Amino acid sequence: MKKIFVLALALVFAFSLVAFSEDVVRLGAINNLTGAQASIDVPTYNGMKLAVKLANEKGGVLGKKIKLFGVDAKTDQTAAANGTRKLIDVDKVVAIAGFSDTDYALAAGAVAQKAGIPFVTSGATHPEIPKRVGDFMFMAAFGDNVQAYAGAEFAYKKLGAKKAWLLKDSAMEYTMTLAKYMKERFEKVGGKILLEDTYQTGDTDYSSQIARLKNLKEKPDVLFVAAGPDDCGLIVKQLREAGIFTPVIGGDGFDTPLLVELAGPKFANNVFFTTHISYGNKSKVVQNFINAYKKEYGHEPESAFAALGFDAIGLIINAIGRANSLDPKAIRDALATTKGYQGVTGNISYKPGDRVPTKSVTIIRVKDGKFLFEAEVLPQ
Amino acid sequence: MKRFLGVLFGISILFLVIFFIDKRFNSYYREIFSIIGINIILVTSLNISNGFTGLFSLGHAGFMAVGAYTSALLDLPLDKKAMLLPNLPYWLGHISLPFLLSVIMAGFMAAFFAVLVGYPVLRLKGHYLSVATLGFMVIVRVVINNTPNLTRGAIGINNIPNYTNIWWVYFWVVITVYALWRIINSSYGRAFLAIREDHIAASLSGVNLTKYKILSFAIGAFFAGVAGALWAHQITAITPRAFSFVTTFNIVVMLVIGGMGSISGSIVSAFLLTLLPELMRPLEEGMVLFGYQLPQLYGLTQLIMATLLILVMIFRPKGLMGDRELSLKGILGQKSS
Repeated sequence: MKKIFVLALALVFAFSLVAFSEDVVRLGAINNLTGAQASIDVPTYNGMKLAVKLANEKGGVLGKKIKLFGVDAKTDQTAAANGTRKLIDVDKVVAIAGFSDTDYALAAGAVAQKAGIPFVTSGATHPEIPKRVGDFMFMAAFGDNVQAYAGAEFAYKKLGAKKAWLLKDSAMEYTMTLAKYMKERFEKVGGKILLEDTYQTGDTDYSSQIARLKNLKEKPDVLFVAAGPDDCGLIVKQLREAGIFTPVIGGDGFDTPLLVELAGPKFANNVFFTTHISYGNKSKVVQNFINAYKKEYGHEPESAFAALGFDAIGLIINAIGRANSLDPKAIRDALATTKGYQGVTGNISYKPGDRVPTKSVTIIRVKDGKFLFEAEVLPQ
Repeated sequence: MKRFLGVLFGISILFLVIFFIDKRFNSYYREIFSIIGINIILVTSLNISNGFTGLFSLGHAGFMAVGAYTSALLDLPLDKKAMLLPNLPYWLGHISLPFLLSVIMAGFMAAFFAVLVGYPVLRLKGHYLSVATLGFMVIVRVVINNTPNLTRGAIGINNIPNYTNIWWVYFWVVITVYALWRIINSSYGRAFLAIREDHIAASLSGVNLTKYKILSFAIGAFFAGVAGALWAHQITAITPRAFSFVTTFNIVVMLVIGGMGSISGSIVSAFLLTLLPELMRPLEEGMVLFGYQLPQLYGLTQLIMATLLILVMIFRPKGLMGDRELSLKGILGQKSS
């Protein structure tokens, strides 16, 4: 045990010596690369690494190369806070990007805010994150209210749904918010929620919820499912196995290969979800990104989170260039005045005092295991 | 007198070490040492019920949650309370206790719940008891999730003041370890051990089983509540999801690796199992070693830790320390032989 301890200490020491001998721009990336969140955070991290690589090929920023320090938060809030501290104190980064889930973004953001380091959360979508953490916290994605509004309006106007069933995960902030705003908008445009049911993250048997759905006197035209990436596939599968083929509408938590893997291509038909990007989009920025991603990793981007990770780092590099400084406060000020940044997931601007971007929402239809572009909407 | 001097000596050494860490280390390493301290409190307190009394509880994360939420509700600054939790009962919405007091209250609240739960549950034995305590943990989470007026539900409470620092943590570590040590070596401790070894014999010898079982459970819960409060003011954002099976099992693993029924074993194992994964971080992050760029292998630390745990279980099935204690005499004696 003692030998291992000494060896580990020596390794850390050797590492820190090497790390400080270069003159580079130091950026941090913190993501849940292992654990329950890994299926969405690994593509995020791939996107981030790609953004740094492409920027370095163009000469880096401020005449220096960029070095990205990646840390694993292990889907654990303590590790998220510790990892952020490591990036700031040990790796001496000037800005950090990361996380696709609000719980971890809040824990890590609090640390960065206290240290005065800008933090751009690539995929966390709770609209109140920046307000709750402070003026060093930014979002690269739209807020959950916006995507829930888009989903509800799409169901009512495009699918012609008047009556809906709503299932939400009561153990996750993301799903609770999503459900709240879906319901609010669906009822406002004239729809009716027949039943609002709940489950908890990690449940594997949804038969009681499905039984209650089947017992409804009126049949719903659409099923709103506010679920995280690990559960959505199983929910869809069990709904279809029970003979319910009504359209399902979900949020960006559905944007994972797990959806089709768990539900199977046949059962995943007639599922729609709101997300940040469609890779079927023919625009040049999107296609260039896909090609670069394919070249680097040998396959197409797994999900929208790859593009969000790419954009989060892109936003930071862009801000450093405009700030013309590596002072975290100057970078923060430049980030806050970002206007019309051409990202892969759309044009990103921050209104004065608001650190949630104004962006359009993409709606995806799942067909035979493929994610097809259905519509792009900008809800009111 | 000699023992008193020994304790004083130990505390002053600890004081110097913390002083050194506080002054010389950056906040990353300081916080790791805080987490180590919090884990020491958690593991030693779980040892009271699981190790010494033989009540294999899996509800520790539940008591942590009770402590974390109690302390956060008691010491949030008033302006933040009005913003985050506008629907609190009047008296709760208009108090903001000092940190020390709110941590103590957190401990008592957790102990109160332990008595409440313990009375029916501690009649069960063996794995029935384990499952029942696990059930308690699930109930705590569900209640927190579904009382948004008091706890903000799944969204959790953030912006908790960052009161916890290394001094507070080790202040509580000293209190915990000293209190547990004195309890173990008192007539109460003997009663706990008697219950663990043979509850029928203990009962026939005049040990009041219900009283001592509940007492053991409540003492463990008190310090779990304290640790939960410290953790909440360290991370500053708490959600019910943080107090899960994973949290409980991490504590149980540390307990088993250290040795059930050994306080020093718990301390050693909490120290090693918290520090090693952090120290191995650079390994998985693709460090440069002797001029070679190692590949990034996230998850490597978990693999190495799991392998180490299996090896410990093969070669030391009763944990690193078994049920013995580390003592100065023992170390010196081993060296001379």
